[in-house]
Amino acid sequence: MPRTFRRIVASLLPALGLAVSAIETVAAQDLTIMAPAAPGGGWDQTARVMQQVLRATGLASNVQVTNVPGAAGTIGLARFVNAEAGNANTLLVMGLVMVSGIAMNASPVTLADVTPIARLSGEYEVIVVPAASPITSLPELVAAFRENPRQVSWGGGSAGGTDEILVRLLADAAGVPRRGVNYVAYSGGGQVLAAVLGGHVTAAVSGLGEFAAQLESGDLRAVAISASERLATPDASSSSAAPAEVTLSAPIPTFREEGFDVVLLNWRGVVAPPGIARDERRNLETTIERMSQSREWKDALSRNGWTDLTLVGAEFGRFLTEETRRVAPLVAGDGGAPRRDGFEILVLAALVLSLLAAGVQRRKRRSVEPGQYGSTAHNRNALLFVVSGVTLEAVLLRPAGFVLASAVMFTLVARAFGSRRVVRDAALGVVFAAIVFLAFARGLGVSLPAGPFG
Amino acid sequence: MEAIGALLDGFRVALAPVHLGWSLAGVVLGTAVGVLPGIGPALTVSLLLPVTFSLEPTAAFIMFAGIYYGAMYGGSTTSILLNTPGESATIVTAIEGHRMAKAGRGGAALATAAIGSFVAGTLATMGLALLAPPLVRVALALGPAEYFALILVAFAAATSVLGRSRARGMVSLTIGLTLGLVGLDPRDGQARLTLGIPYLLDGIDPVIVAVGLLAVGETFYLASRFGVDVDELVPLRGSLWMTRAEWRRSWKPWLRGTALGFPLGALPAGGAELPTFLSYGLERRLTRHPEEFGQGAIEGVAGPEAANNAAAAGTLVPLLTIGLPTSATAAILLAAFQQYGLRPGPLLFEHEPALVWGVIASLFIGNTLLLALNLPLVGLWIRLLTVPRPLLYGAILLLASVGAFSVHGSTLDLVMLGVMGLLGYALRTGDYPVAPVIIGLLLGPMAEQHFARAVSVASDSVVQAFARPVAGSLLAVAVFVVAGPAVAGTLQRARARSRNS
Repeated sequence: MPRTFRRIVASLLPALGLAVSAIETVAAQDLTIMAPAAPGGGWDQTARVMQQVLRATGLASNVQVTNVPGAAGTIGLARFVNAEAGNANTLLVMGLVMVSGIAMNASPVTLADVTPIARLSGEYEVIVVPAASPITSLPELVAAFRENPRQVSWGGGSAGGTDEILVRLLADAAGVPRRGVNYVAYSGGGQVLAAVLGGHVTAAVSGLGEFAAQLESGDLRAVAISASERLATPDASSSSAAPAEVTLSAPIPTFREEGFDVVLLNWRGVVAPPGIARDERRNLETTIERMSQSREWKDALSRNGWTDLTLVGAEFGRFLTEETRRVAPLVAGDGGAPRRDGFEILVLAALVLSLLAAGVQRRKRRSVEPGQYGSTAHNRNALLFVVSGVTLEAVLLRPAGFVLASAVMFTLVARAFGSRRVVRDAALGVVFAAIVFLAFARGLGVSLPAGPFG
Repeated sequence: MEAIGALLDGFRVALAPVHLGWSLAGVVLGTAVGVLPGIGPALTVSLLLPVTFSLEPTAAFIMFAGIYYGAMYGGSTTSILLNTPGESATIVTAIEGHRMAKAGRGGAALATAAIGSFVAGTLATMGLALLAPPLVRVALALGPAEYFALILVAFAAATSVLGRSRARGMVSLTIGLTLGLVGLDPRDGQARLTLGIPYLLDGIDPVIVAVGLLAVGETFYLASRFGVDVDELVPLRGSLWMTRAEWRRSWKPWLRGTALGFPLGALPAGGAELPTFLSYGLERRLTRHPEEFGQGAIEGVAGPEAANNAAAAGTLVPLLTIGLPTSATAAILLAAFQQYGLRPGPLLFEHEPALVWGVIASLFIGNTLLLALNLPLVGLWIRLLTVPRPLLYGAILLLASVGAFSVHGSTLDLVMLGVMGLLGYALRTGDYPVAPVIIGLLLGPMAEQHFARAVSVASDSVVQAFARPVAGSLLAVAVFVVAGPAVAGTLQRARARSRNS
């Protein structure tokens, strides 16, 4: 046994040395960008593109991106406001979805608590119908909608997101009560696309980019775009080989052209924590403004099909206030009581019933075979060691950092399973946790709390 | 056959030494990162995306294909050895695979997973090359009503994992369904059962639940029995790889898993976990060794592993042909295409045939490389089990907490992990099965959403929503799977009685 084990430890040591030398090369000047979403989405992409551009242009030498996903960004917002107040070296990516998320989840932390820096980019929304649909234009779609709102189903992203906001704005403009709207929430653009291509919904709403390939190939027809003016149509010839700029063979009419006063941008921007000094704020604004003027940034915008919407400082602050005033009432408290159709009551009832059934069965069985159940001989100390190890890991993680917290847990667990060599276990725990820490934090960019050594 | 000619051209592209090198690099990187706990294919692909930026598109996508298949494969290793699944598609693998590992058949479990993944990946990639356009047409014709019916079939199949006592199994299943309710109601965005805690608004992550119930709960249980009864952990019993009997028991599950995984992966119904559950239920019904299920049955590893790899190839069908991502990983691949100014969709095959067919051909090559890479590693991996037990369990809990923490990067992830560990411990000491909790948690919310959508799309009429040929037949299958054995039993008894009288 010990030989194999020693061989494993020995083979891991060079990796540790390598990782330690990687730490030393980290540069001094810091900027941390928090994306309040999981990797892959629009906010995360914005943060990572900013990271690339800031580095490439030399506006910041060391830029870290952290992801704090959850609840339309409001979890990230709360962490940002509480933990980073006064820290002028950090930015939070946010946007329209966060404005509506705050209203929907009645978030205690709002955008009044942060320092607006700049609006950066955005995407227009389109309403599309399948190519085979009898509906060919927005007025036809709205006519059907007015006649029988429930018969017209609108597919779009999650409830309360940009897509549903657009449908609600259109319902208001068309004079249809919001409660009558048959909005079908899908998770993610792909599912919406499938639903509309398969003809399962009357119309679908999403960012222009999500439908670009199908609009180009003629499988879908766009009836309206949420821009204030018609978008310019570049050469249709530069379709697939060129950067994925949104090129359309036929121009899409705006809502305004069709007689409905609806303009909506799924915009994104950055904010700084509360309580930073005025010159610190101006400093950040200058950095971000310079970034947004760089060629690298413009290239990234066209590569991702984003529209440049740069708006810096106080003007962005005013825009935020207006947007909150416009969007919040659309998603929060729309009159009706929250829909409750008994699904959860059904599930809870089933839980109680099956617990009862199992209890009855158990009593019956126990009377037949005594001693099989409820055998109380167990090792309480060992269990206590393991449970307190897991508890301490959670408690110590932030103050002591991942490596120390994990080493404590490792030692306690080893003790539970009969090891008496506390010092060796603790040392091994530190080494193993350090390797894991370096692999995740340095190798993959998944941040684990570094604690006092960070 | 036009496709075969194009595929041969693709092989010419993919077999160029440079591209072969990138494929190998992708496979190695994908496996290495996929093996880490808590890091599933979607995260692996998005973390490694920047690595490919400096390459020209064909090389980048060939490397990507390698990363994708490598990550799908790597996930099963930690599930089998350490009971810590990194993503929802390998949870089923952990259930039987880890039992096998503890009984000294970890080598066989890893081998059947590797070979099954190879068989499934190869067959499914062939399906991708030859059947993509008609398959997409079928997939699009299916809507929320069919998906709901399909999930009911999976639930019905899952009743077979309820364990020895149906009542206990139902308790576990309803606990899972209740956990699945936590979070925002997907239909109107209202919070449910969140106790006012913002962390719970996004629901409870299935990976945290699985790792908590399986790895942490099991460690709690083993600690509580330490010194009381003997914890059997045999690193290796018998031959390192699969025995003849294990081969015999594996090949049919591989093929059945592929047959389930490939078409279901192409459906926009949500993820590769659905076919793994269906495959597990199916194998459990068909096996000649029902007593081994729950104790480490090789069919329970072979089928689901084939299913999840076939689903990975199935996902590429709608992605490449119509630009439709059907999973989180596919959505990231789509973003990668866009980074290169390419738009997957009907026109991609016309504009970039060398790239598309080169990528498809490199999937075959990547698959072969994966097998060649992973079979020799089996011996090394199971040596992990020779680490002294106190240190092994310490390491398992450490990796479990990293995996849980990397889900949201929140301390509350660790609290949730501990709570799920205690739940797992309670279930284990009370002799309640754990698998139905996870099935309820994963499939419950999916079923609810599809049901709500089906009814909404059919203008609020439940009857109209399900009065469709495919949805109706699937519902009938679900009813048959649940009621069938009971009805058959009653009939048999009735017949026996009439014969006796």
